[in-house]
Amino acid sequence: MSASLILILVVAGAYLAAHVAFDRLAHRFNIISGAEYLLLGILIGPEVAGLISAGAADSFAPLRTLALGWIGVLVGTQFYVREMIRLPGVLYRVAFFEAILSLALVAGAMIAVLTGVLRLPFAESVMPAVAMGTIATVSSPSAIGLVARRLGRRAPLVLQAEIASAVSTAVAISAFALLLCIVHPGGGSTARTPTPTEWAVITVGIGCVGGALFHLFLGGERKVDRLFIALAGAIILASGAAAYLRLSPLLPAMLVGVILVNTSKNRAEIRQVLVGVERPLYFVLMLFAGVAWRLDVGNWIVPVAAFLGARVTAKLFSAGIAAALNGALPVLGVHWGRSLLGQGGVALAIGLNYATYENTRLASVVFTATIASVLLTDLVSARLAESVVRPQMEQKRRAAVAALAASAGEE
Amino acid sequence: MRRLFVLALLLGGMQLIFPLGTQGQGGHALLVFGFLVLAAYTVGEIATLVGIPKIVGYLAAGVVFGPSALGTVTTGAAEQLTQVSQLAVALIAFLAGAELRWSEVRERGVLLLKMMSAELTLSFGAVFALLYLGRGWIPFFRDIPDLHALVFSLLFAAVAIVHSPAVTMALISETEARGPVARTTLGVVLLSDVAVVLLFSGVMAAARILVPPSGSAAGPSIGALVWEILGALLVGTVIGLAVALYLRFVHRELMLFAILVAFFGVEITTVTHVEMLLTLLAAGFVAENISRAGEGEALRHAMERSAAPVFVVFFALSGAKIDLGGVAELILFVVPIALVRMGAIWAGTRVGARWAGARGPERRYVWMGLVSQAGVAIGLSSIIAGAYPGVGDALRGLLLALIAVNETVGPILFRRALDVGGETQGSTEVISPSRGPAPVGV
Repeated sequence: MSASLILILVVAGAYLAAHVAFDRLAHRFNIISGAEYLLLGILIGPEVAGLISAGAADSFAPLRTLALGWIGVLVGTQFYVREMIRLPGVLYRVAFFEAILSLALVAGAMIAVLTGVLRLPFAESVMPAVAMGTIATVSSPSAIGLVARRLGRRAPLVLQAEIASAVSTAVAISAFALLLCIVHPGGGSTARTPTPTEWAVITVGIGCVGGALFHLFLGGERKVDRLFIALAGAIILASGAAAYLRLSPLLPAMLVGVILVNTSKNRAEIRQVLVGVERPLYFVLMLFAGVAWRLDVGNWIVPVAAFLGARVTAKLFSAGIAAALNGALPVLGVHWGRSLLGQGGVALAIGLNYATYENTRLASVVFTATIASVLLTDLVSARLAESVVRPQMEQKRRAAVAALAASAGEE
Repeated sequence: MRRLFVLALLLGGMQLIFPLGTQGQGGHALLVFGFLVLAAYTVGEIATLVGIPKIVGYLAAGVVFGPSALGTVTTGAAEQLTQVSQLAVALIAFLAGAELRWSEVRERGVLLLKMMSAELTLSFGAVFALLYLGRGWIPFFRDIPDLHALVFSLLFAAVAIVHSPAVTMALISETEARGPVARTTLGVVLLSDVAVVLLFSGVMAAARILVPPSGSAAGPSIGALVWEILGALLVGTVIGLAVALYLRFVHRELMLFAILVAFFGVEITTVTHVEMLLTLLAAGFVAENISRAGEGEALRHAMERSAAPVFVVFFALSGAKIDLGGVAELILFVVPIALVRMGAIWAGTRVGARWAGARGPERRYVWMGLVSQAGVAIGLSSIIAGAYPGVGDALRGLLLALIAVNETVGPILFRRALDVGGETQGSTEVISPSRGPAPVGV
């Protein structure tokens, strides 16, 4: 049987199983769905059951790239400046500080682990450590979204967590894309290989020029069906250009999304088109990520465990520090970082991009760490987020009741 | 105009980055794919402005950016996108099957059957006669024995009568036509698709006996041919049932599900050696007709949404495969064949409609919807070339040139038929209830 047929049958079976069993479980135990596809991908991939060979898995590369590009554009559409400037700047300062600090802490910790435990030379450990840092930086909005929907009201913490999630994703994608520019393997048929700086300019150029051109191309088109064709073409082109140049498709696509959402009058329709395809592509990405998983390094347990530990510590610590330095600790609380522990699709996208990139160091370890983190946090992130949001809600409720009682006593 | 300017800039940008990249990770195919979607979309929109169907614009974009002209889409890139074409054909077939209602088949089945029989018989006979009698003027037919000329003329005619479900469906989707001309044309095209597969298989089997291909293995057995058709109906029915069950009990993520059904159809037909188009037609028909009201429609809408960029690329790739040089060389032979075929289709549908007692607009206009040719005909011509290297290759060249002409003229004619039949917005004629039957089952 062909690999494609197996994959189709598995996706269909997985979806049905997820529908019957996992959805109920997820709802009951506050689990973020999607992890089941990742697990299934691992199970049918070359490393476990071998239903899909490594070669067959590689043949899905264009779809994988498209999924990365689509996710990138979706991330970019969160940054609508007119809405952003309505919110206090402190929210962004806290988010940005938290993201940068998390990246630096995890990257630093992983350099120490890789050089100390795996005995890698410093120069060789920097690349996987920074990649892990970028992956660790990502905070998924799913958990906080689930909690916000469940509790039905908006707390300051929820807003801060949502902004922190968006900012940390943007920081992670940008840092990762720059990392790939630095380690770019070269190639092509030019007389001189571009320098890392030139690759960085090209990466940003694809996003900015592409975004501007696609803005002109889409014009005021409001019919969703027609917009879908044009938008799909634009995303495929931008992701394809980046993949062809061996750059990360995530950053150019994100920039395309930022430009489109800020310059187009039809931003609502654009978002509608993008969101309409988000879930299918997210599942596809999860599945391909599982299929692409390999484990070709003996000593992987220590770095993976270290990554998990370093990430949780760094996230909690940097969230607290960021809030304290910006005077937001009384509002957010010391433990608000718990709401940022979810990893989600973008972290997996970065990990997958790293794992399938040429000349990367410790690709399987980095990807295994990513998968472990995604699986673990999908299980617990919603509960952790709820553990910090609920008390805040309770506090607000009690304050409101006390105020009401006080006013009734006065009367 | 703005979009053309953007397209020119994108093309310039691609030329700038081409020397910097490499082929790995499917990036090149994606790059070309994305550009082709945007280019075909733009040219399609321009075509609409001048009253030409969008798909002619998509084809034109394929020709312009294909290997014959600007070369943006190289032959290699086009081959890499073959899966997209297969997916498009599968989606088209499923959607076409889903367009047919059981009530309509019962009510109009006889009409469709009679029109198809008359039309196929006349066009097959006319094209065969023209080629066989005019063999002295065709370079590669001049020096072959009469028996060979007879066999190759039969093979040519068997491919020349093929219609295009893809073009028919694409135009019906584009114009949202649901009147008697659209529905009768679709019905005839779908029925004839089954008939021509049977006819071609029979002619090919006879050809292998009369003119054994040099050094090739024996052709498919009768059992294999029967399985190809009956197995397709069986597999299609099973898929259709599964789809209906999904729609009834799950009914979620329809977009992903639509793509999966199409991909599954492509793969399962390869594994089971059944005819793909027929399988998905049957699947679409079964799924639509046993689903509850509204369920099938939701899937169709999801399928149409996900198919939109795939259709654009399918037709653009079809355009890219047109060899302009080859068409130009053979145009003197192709034009008379195309005209005779068209005339025979016209006469055949008139005869068939009269036979069935049809008096509506379908009697006058359906022939215009049967001129188009595309993927199926190209596939069959490749089978001839594979079986008979030499003359078969020359025959394929002639067929491809004929298909190119029909592929370009056909959609324009069909659009015109829908317009004058009063089935599109801005139609030139509005059908009064007394002039033709009301759309059935829609």
